[in-house]
Amino acid sequence: MYTRSFLSVVLLAAVSIVALAQQKPPVKTHLKVGDPAPDFTLRATDGKTYKLSDFNAKKNVVLAIYVLAFTGG
Amino acid sequence: MQAYQADIAKLESTDTQVFGLSVDSVPANREFAKQIGITFPLLSDFKRTVVKDYGVFNEEQGFGNRATFVIDKEGIIRHIDEGNVAIDPSTAIETCNVLNRKKASQ
Repeated sequence: MYTRSFLSVVLLAAVSIVALAQQKPPVKTHLKVGDPAPDFTLRATDGKTYKLSDFNAKKNVVLAIYVLAFTGG
Repeated sequence: MQAYQADIAKLESTDTQVFGLSVDSVPANREFAKQIGITFPLLSDFKRTVVKDYGVFNEEQGFGNRATFVIDKEGIIRHIDEGNVAIDPSTAIETCNVLNRKKASQ
């Protein structure tokens, strides 16, 4: 009996540690390296409209998503 | 964004197009670009469809989380940075360099 409750305390502690270690930013993308990038067509600051798939076979694309303008970083 | 701007030459030399993307309007992004001196295009995902497609939409706060995706010439994601690490472009640059070397050796 005593052993069992001791074990459950140990188990609880272990689970808590794992849960803490897994705390990450609030949103985690479902996309993985190796996945096809979802296509998009969006307007940009230079007045042009860009379609991601137009860059296929031409250029690599770095897409830097930022929170909001005027937040720095 | 400033960090990407600082390294824009390095990125462009690897045959790479750099985009910023936020859920701000085009005029807001233009003002932002002007103020901090961004020369690469900033995309406006006003309808929040792209941030949702990329799984970086913060439902609670209504905007995109910080993240960087490196996409190769076949349209495949080759690198993902999420959260504050995405501020530093060095791993994205390294990925582009590797992609280019691969291409050159083919």
